[in-house]
Order: sequence, then structure tokens, then C-alpha cells
Amino acid sequence: MLRYIVRRLLLLIPILIGVSLLIFFWIRALPGSPAEALLGERATPALVQAYRQKYGLNKPIVQQYFTYLKTTAVDRDLGVSVASHRQVWSEIRLKFPATIELAVAAMIFAVVLGIPLGFFAAKHHGRLFDQLTLVGSLLGISIPIFFLAIILKYLFAVRWHLLPSVGRIDVTANVKHPTNFYVLDAIITGDWSTLWDVLKHLVLPAIALGSIPLAVITRITRAAVLDVQNEDYVRTARAKGLPPLTVDRRHILRNALLPVSTIIGLQTGLLLSGAVLTETVFAFPGMGSWLRDAIFNRDYPVLQGGILFLALVFVFVNLIVDISYAIINPRIRYS
Amino acid sequence: MSVAELEAAEIALEAPAGGLWKEASYRLIRNPAAIAGGVLVLIFVIAAIFAPLIAPYKPLEQNLSLLKSGGIPPGPSLHHLLGVDLLGRDVFTRILYGARFSLLIGVVSVAIGLTVGLILGSIAGYIGGIVESVIMRCMDVMLAIPGLLFAIGIVAMLGPGLYQIMIAVGVVNIPIFARLLRGSVLAQRENDFVLAARSVGVRRRVILFSHILPNAISPVIVQGTLAMATAIIDVAGLGFLGLGPQDPSTPEWGTMLTDVNDYLQAAPFLAIIPGIAIVLSVLGFNLIGDGLREALDPKLRGR
Amino acid sequence: MRGNLRKLALPLAALCVLVVASTAGGASRATTLVFAGAADPTYLDPALVSDGESFRVTEQIFESLVKLKPGTTLIQPALAKSWVSKNAKDWTFSLRHNVKFHDGTPFNAAAVCYNYNRQYNFKGPFQDASATYYWQTVFGGFKHNESADLSPSLYIGCTAHGKYSVTIHLRTPSGPFLPAQVISSFGIQSPTALKKYGADSGELRNGTFYPTGSYAFSHPTGTGPFKFVSWTVGEKTVLAANPNYWGPKPKIKTLIIRPIANNSARLQALQTGEAQGIDLVAPEHVGIIQSNSKLKVLNRPSFNVAYVTIHQGTGSPMNDIKVRQAVAYGLDRASVVRSFYSGRGQVAQEFEPPQLFGWTNKVTKYTYNPTKAKQLLNSSSCHVPCKVDFWYPTGVSRPYMPDPKRNFEAFSASLEEAGFSVTAHSAPWRPDYVKHVNDGTAGDLNLIGWTGDFGDPDNFLGTFFQTYSPQFGFKNAAIFNILSKAEKQKSLKKRIALYKQANIMIMKYLPAVPYAHSRPALGFEKTVKGYVPSPVGTDPFEGVSIGGQ
Repeated sequence: MLRYIVRRLLLLIPILIGVSLLIFFWIRALPGSPAEALLGERATPALVQAYRQKYGLNKPIVQQYFTYLKTTAVDRDLGVSVASHRQVWSEIRLKFPATIELAVAAMIFAVVLGIPLGFFAAKHHGRLFDQLTLVGSLLGISIPIFFLAIILKYLFAVRWHLLPSVGRIDVTANVKHPTNFYVLDAIITGDWSTLWDVLKHLVLPAIALGSIPLAVITRITRAAVLDVQNEDYVRTARAKGLPPLTVDRRHILRNALLPVSTIIGLQTGLLLSGAVLTETVFAFPGMGSWLRDAIFNRDYPVLQGGILFLALVFVFVNLIVDISYAIINPRIRYS
Repeated sequence: MSVAELEAAEIALEAPAGGLWKEASYRLIRNPAAIAGGVLVLIFVIAAIFAPLIAPYKPLEQNLSLLKSGGIPPGPSLHHLLGVDLLGRDVFTRILYGARFSLLIGVVSVAIGLTVGLILGSIAGYIGGIVESVIMRCMDVMLAIPGLLFAIGIVAMLGPGLYQIMIAVGVVNIPIFARLLRGSVLAQRENDFVLAARSVGVRRRVILFSHILPNAISPVIVQGTLAMATAIIDVAGLGFLGLGPQDPSTPEWGTMLTDVNDYLQAAPFLAIIPGIAIVLSVLGFNLIGDGLREALDPKLRGR
Repeated sequence: MRGNLRKLALPLAALCVLVVASTAGGASRATTLVFAGAADPTYLDPALVSDGESFRVTEQIFESLVKLKPGTTLIQPALAKSWVSKNAKDWTFSLRHNVKFHDGTPFNAAAVCYNYNRQYNFKGPFQDASATYYWQTVFGGFKHNESADLSPSLYIGCTAHGKYSVTIHLRTPSGPFLPAQVISSFGIQSPTALKKYGADSGELRNGTFYPTGSYAFSHPTGTGPFKFVSWTVGEKTVLAANPNYWGPKPKIKTLIIRPIANNSARLQALQTGEAQGIDLVAPEHVGIIQSNSKLKVLNRPSFNVAYVTIHQGTGSPMNDIKVRQAVAYGLDRASVVRSFYSGRGQVAQEFEPPQLFGWTNKVTKYTYNPTKAKQLLNSSSCHVPCKVDFWYPTGVSRPYMPDPKRNFEAFSASLEEAGFSVTAHSAPWRPDYVKHVNDGTAGDLNLIGWTGDFGDPDNFLGTFFQTYSPQFGFKNAAIFNILSKAEKQKSLKKRIALYKQANIMIMKYLPAVPYAHSRPALGFEKTVKGYVPSPVGTDPFEGVSIGGQ
């Protein structure tokens, strides 16, 4: 097991180096020189010179890359946002918790609904419920999430006044946020009305963002259950005369959930992409709407730092999923 | 993009040998969902190709006098089947022309992803060793950046515009196809007919092109269909984020939808029509892709 | 397993019901007003900002010597009770007694001088236009200018006479000086707080000024009707009523200003009760608010102009007056205003809004006439089809130009009709577009506009046309001279005559084509009373009350 983890961690190194190289060269490929790209269009000659000095941009490119690695990884200096003039790193600390909360809520929505749906569809294989679930899940994949978000918001917030339409929290509430994870903050302080309020703000964005994972998880669960159902050990269990419920739970679902768990890792990337669109619609102050604004403001330091950070998160989530998968399923370690 | 990748994971690696194509097409025809998808895609393609013949108006023809007070466009009528947009242009006409752009963007971007992915994937799969490691690690790096963000990065680099979007969406598809191809080629490499060909001294390149690739192609077809669907959605997403075509009058569905986001309450049909057009065409490709997979997947046969 | 899933389904269903049963918002808010603008403030030190969203907050915390009568551009007393100037050079203000800053320190003549001298003595990064835009606009330069681009300061000193009288000395006579003092950047701040919280430390980051002290983020201290409480970036700025305010006390206890960038999202926040008032209502949303029995629309008096820049320069076809006239005749301004301003705009005949002195009906008018435009082109140096590059901004909605893209599309079609061949270019509003326009690199034609800061024609005509600017690229001594003369003229009557004459000259010469003055809309719950929108966009909240809930 340890060997597997170590191997997996070692595999991470080339990927991290690759990602940093990709972003490093991306910035250099942007219109204008890197200093100008990072300074925005306000760059005066004097400023460009100072910037080149600071980040070693007049040195050979290989040396520049190592300087970039050092300032990013060691000094955690991602530069300063062109729009807000604040440190990119301190903005990430502010925005990232919002996106994590949203992504987790979306994933919970998708898992809690998707697994039972997929399971029942497989159990009713070929029948109406199965067909409806399949078509429904295809439809779920076919709707652009920003379109779904706009429609949901219009109906549930504007038309029927059931849920809030913007932001993370009721602005008239006077609460402190020690961690910036609002759900966590509310639980720590035992402030249940705030918790309720924060959850209400999460519902619509989470449904919109969770629509595609929901469809995918439903389909994967269904396919996995269909696969497992005919395995020898399931037949054996049935033949032994175990009650159907026990077989369903112990033999079918447990094994069928293995592929589903890897999906969760792969879906993280989709959630982070989708957050850009969802957060824009719901004016949700997370990484997504922040990066979207950065595109408009040509805020290259934010784009550079933000995308790098999200890529790292994505890579690490997949690592954790892989490792936990290997723990659950010993066969994988030796493949 | 990750969805497509997942779908790819579902595709079985064993390809149907020779005569299976016939059986597969037979199964496809008997699948009502795939037929529905086929009809949707057919309508979409016909609309795209024959837009100038079908369309009652010109896509850029403005008629500001049609607008109601406050610049609100009137709803559907006999003269304008789907109403007019905020500049008094016929929405039906623009939807037809929009199909052209979506089809064009979809085909070109998938072609980019497929061609490059095919080359890299089959090289990696066939040659193996250090070449494979290098190529596949590069693909891993590309996959490490969430798809839409990657596309945004490319558009930021190349500037907004139709071709830039095609390239961006295409590049994002490369690692997905490369992984798929490599997997297929790996599976085929050890097959009996390949070993046989090798033992009689057929050259490697010939084996790759005449034996391995044709047999590895069926998952690629499935993936290509599904990638068309995601391409249309991704392009709409880029349009929604304001990274659509440079000329604002281009009748591109995503841009049309974005435009009217602000008008959802004043003129809801304006937002809903391009939305439905996107959903239906994407659904069409997804249904066909799904049907194809079931038809081509030996594991699912007989179920 | 099925049983288990059913067990799970029950609490899920209960959760759904609960969510549906509870309504959004709903806290008791009779004393709290939530107002939504488009963005966060930049900083809260008014001397260092120049945007409307910052001023929306600083205007409540700080007061200047003079202020605008609500809803107008007329000057009235604020921290100064009265003022006098014989030569328009030395201005003596007598100050209000017994006023205290929010930190309890007294307001007096020394505090006034401290504030003006603070900006006059700014050094280093503080002299960057991104830090002190309005000081530079009104006073030109500083005591020790560090850049050759800065002109000598118009302000040269301040004398305190006892506690409650102060004289401000100018280098030359100036008509716009007094009206300009209403700008929030000249609000009087507590000298004690400025020093205590490091207001005078700052640096350039990425070429833009950034204050490094905590004053501009968490300790703004003035004399205004509201005190600063907190600012959560991206979420809200909270202000509380100042119980010791010298004037009529605010009727609400708490004022929350929140940023919602998207027009639809802002409207929806009003509809759901997540905001009780919103600014910058898009024209197409006005009807929606009006048809809602709980909401109302307020009008901001028109004090802006949208125009099409005509860029002249070496080799440009626009150097030919006939081509410029063809542009003016080829822009279907009436259709654009009718279609995209929802009855909230009027076609602009000239660059000044009609409410301002100096406006005249005697200017040359150019109604849409494609035939005439073609004739003009064919007799000019640029025959039909005359090729022009036409730029428009993306990702932005301005009060004077709510939908630039659609304005562009309609103008572009009407110019094509009039014999031009238009090439479209777009760029994101900030920083690319504005920079290209200012540098004169945004094509032959581009869309842009202006919202007035204070009630003086100099703020419109002087800003655009008093000197050579790369944006327009023309040199016309007659226009430059008359505007400089008008700025320094002491007699108001003579100034009015000069500005009228200038307007006529400008519309003959056509350095640009003005096309709309808009009346921006605000949306409110009907229970909100006493809100008076200001033409310059800095609305007071002290008179606002929430009743009838």
C-alpha cells in the first residue's frame, strides 16, 4: 500500500512541473511582453523595467522559470491583482472557501440523488423508470449549466420568492467569518439561523452546478449495478438464500460504488469549470466569478495564480481519490 | 469535457471485428432513442446546410420599427415565426444560421482534437517506452487544468473570435482522444491478428495503419459524436462569458442566449429559443453517441 | 437497501419542504436599508478614488465645504456656511460651528487646511493619476511636481483665520473651482484619524496606486450623517447613522451597500427583497419594475452625454470636414435613442446636457439623412464606400450607454446605408477599450461618453476640447482659446455667452458626434421614501426612510 502511495506521489511531480511550465509559457504567449501582460495596459516603461528586475524577466528563460517557481512555491507570491491591487494569494484565501462550499454542496446533491436513481434504474432495467432516468440524465448533460441556472433562478427566486437569488448570505445578518467557510463558521459558532440562511443561498447554485455530475453519477451507478448484478459472487449469494435486501446492499451496491467513487474525483474538474458559469449567474463571490471578472479586466496575475491554484486542487483531489480507491479495492494496487 | 472523458471510459476497449459493423448498425436502427437522436441531428444538419434557402429573411437584416416601446421586441407572429430580436432581426432566420456556426465550430474543433489526439495516442500506444511516457504525461498535464478554464486561457492568448474558439475547444479535446486511442491501440497490439502480421514481417507502420487503427476506431466514433455535443455546450459557455465572436451580429447560439440574458423577464422567448436550440442539438448528438456505444459495445450486447 | 434508501428519502423530502416553505430574506428591516450598486468601493479615502461606487459610500461618511442641493447641480452650504471671493482667486469660507468628526475630534479651519495641504503636498505614488485623479483634474498639479506631464498647481495655499474662517488661495482666477468642491474627493477628513491609521502611505502596484495603511480600508473618519462600520469585500459595506450629526439626523439606523455587478441579478435582488433599492437599472428593466405593484422607479436627472468619437490624425479620412459631416448625417441617432433607451433618453444636439448653463438651441443639427451623407462623401476625399474602423466596448453598461453593443450594431447598419463600409472592433471596457480611446488608437470612430461630476460646462466642454487630446487628434486654436477664456472669466453672464458660442463652434467643426443624454433609472421598494437621485450620481441617504411595512 505504502509503495502505491509513494509511486502515486512521485507521479505527481512531473504533472506539477508540467502544469507550472504550461502556465509559465502561457503568460509568455499572451499579447505583449510578459511584464506588460502581467502589469496590464497601464504598463509604463519605468514600471515594466522595475517589474522585469523584480521577477528577473531580463534573465535567460530557464532561469526565469526557476525564479517563477521560487516566487510561486516558496514565497507564495502570486503577484497583485490588476483590478483590486490586492495580493492574488490573499484573494484566493477569501474566494476559495466559497467555491469549495458550492462544489461540495453540488456534489452532495449529485451523489444523494444520483446513486439511488441509478440503482433503481438498474433494478428496473428496460422498464419505464429506467428509460425515463436514462433520457433524463442525457437531458441533464445536454443543458448548458448557465442556461439551467438562469431558468432556476428566475423560477425559484424571482417568480416564486422561495429562495434567495444572489450572494452567499443575507447581508443584513451581522456575523463574523473566522474561516470564510460560512457553513463551517455557522456550525462552529452554533448560529443556526445563519446556517439556515447560508444553506438557502447554496441550494440553487448547487443544483445548477450539480446537474451534470448528477446525470453522470446516475448513469455510472446504473451501468455498474448492471455489471455487478451478474457476477458470480452475487449469484452465489442469491443461491445461498440470503435475503434480497442483504444481497443488494452487501454485494451489489458496495461493489458498484467503486467506479462511482472515482467519478467524484474526475468530476471535480467539471465542478471547477462549471463554477465559473454558475457563480456568474448567482453573483456568488467565489473563485469562478472572480476568474470571470479577471478575463474581462485582463487581470493576468489573477488568471495565472487562480488557474494554477485550481489545477493544483484538481490534481490533489484526484490523488486522494486514487489513494482511497486503492485502499478500498486492493486489486488496483498491483495493476 | 470531463463528461466526454467519462463517457469514453465507459466505452469498451474491445472493438467489434469485421462483420460486427453490420450487426451494430442493425442494433442502432432498432434503438428508438438513437433514432430520435438521429432525427434531431438530421434536422440540425439540414438547417445548417440549407439555411439560406429556408430562411425567410437575412440574418443581419435589422428592422428597428418592429420593436415595441422601450425597445422590447414583439413575440412570435405569422411574419416572424419565432419573433424578432432586440434589433428587429428575425429570430427563426438567425437560429437557422446559428446552426451553421454551431455545426462548423463543432466539426472543426472535434476534427482538431481528433486528428492531434489520434496521432499522439497511436504513437504513444504503438511505440511505447519513453515516447509513450512523455506524451501521456503531457496529456495528464493538459487534463489537470479544468476544461473550460483551459479554453478560456487559450482564448485569452489568441484573442476572441470564431477561429480562436474552435482552436480552444479543439485543443481541450486532444488529451481525451489521445488517451482513448492509446488505450485502444494497446488493447489491439497484443491481438492475434497483429501478432500474426508481425511474425510474417509486415512493417510496423503498415500494421498500425492497416490493422490496428481500423479496429480501434469504433470507440473514437462514439467519442467523436459525444465530443460534438460538448463542443456545442462549451462554445455556448464561452459565448456566455463574453468570449464569443468578435462581430456582435454573428448569429451564434451561445452569443444570442447571452445577449438576451438581461431580457429574460421582458421578452422570455428570446432567451428560451436559442437555449432550446442548443439543448435539442446537444441532446441529438448525445442520444446518437449513446446508441452507437450500446451498438458497438460487445459487453452490452444481448441486454 | 431499498428500505434504507426510503429512510433517506424522508428527511430529504422534509428538507425540500422546509426550503420551499421558508421565504427568502424577511428580517425586520424597518431601520435597515439594503442598497445595491454595481461594484465594491475601490478604497474609502475619497481623496484617492474617482469612481462612483466609492463615492456612493464616501459621500455618506464625508462632507465637503459645499454640496449640491439634492436633485440639482446647484451649490449650497455644507461644512461652510457661506463664502466670498472678490477676484475668483482667493476664496474665504466661514465654517459651521460645533461640528465633530466621527472620532470625536473637532472640525475647524485647521482641519480644512490640513486636508487641502495634504493633497497639495502629495508625493511619489500619490502623484499618480490613479491616486489623485480629481485633485489633478481640478487643481492640475502639486507643490512639487514629480512628472513633467503635471501642470503647476492651481491651489497655492490655505490660511486659517481663527477657528471658523478659512481662505483658499488660487494661482489664477477660476470659475469651476467652487462648483468642483462638491466632489467627494474634497471631503474633509479627520486629521487625527488620517495620521493615526497611516493614510499617507501607499505604493504603486502594477502601475496603480494602492494605499498600504489601514485608513482607506477600515478607518474612514468624516463628519457626515453616517459612520463607517465594516466593509466585507465582494459582499457589503455597512454604515451606521451618526447620532451626533449636525444636520437633520438620518431616519434609518443602518445602511448596507452591496455590490451586484450583473444588471439582471441586481433587478432580481430587488424583486426578491434582497435589496430595497438598486442603482443602474437597465432601460429594458424599467417596465418590469413599473408593472410590479410593490416597486417603483426613480429618475436620475440627465447629466451625461454619449457620443461617437471622430478620430482625426495623419492620413485619416476624418480630417476632411465633409467626411465628418457625412458621419453625423449617417448616424441614425433618433432610432438608436428610441430603440435602446426605453424612452429614457433624448437625442443630444450638443455635448452639454440641456439643464446646464451654456446650452443653446442655435447649434447645427444633423438629422439622419443617408442620401445627403452619400453626396457629401462623393464630394469628399473618401468616396462611397468609405472605409472606417468603428470600435465598441464589451462587458460594460454605462448610464449614458446602457447597451453599447446594440448601439454599435444599429449605428453600423445606418452608416453602411449612408455609404460607409464599417469594420467592427471590440475590446473589454477596462483597461483595453478606455485606454485605446484615450490614446487615439481606437479606430476612426468609437463609442464613449461622459457623466458630469459637478455643475459647470467646463466639466463637459473643457474636459473634452480645451486642449489637444490624442482621443480626438485635432488642433483647433479657436476652440481651445474660447474654452480657456470661459474657464477664467469671473462674470457668470459672460461665461454663459462664451460657452454658448463654444457649443456652436464645436457642432460646426464636429470633433465628435454627441448622440444621447440619458435619464438613468433607479428601482426601489415603494416603502422606501425620501430618496432623491442626484444628477452627478452621489445620492444622499440621510433623508431616506422606510415606512408602511
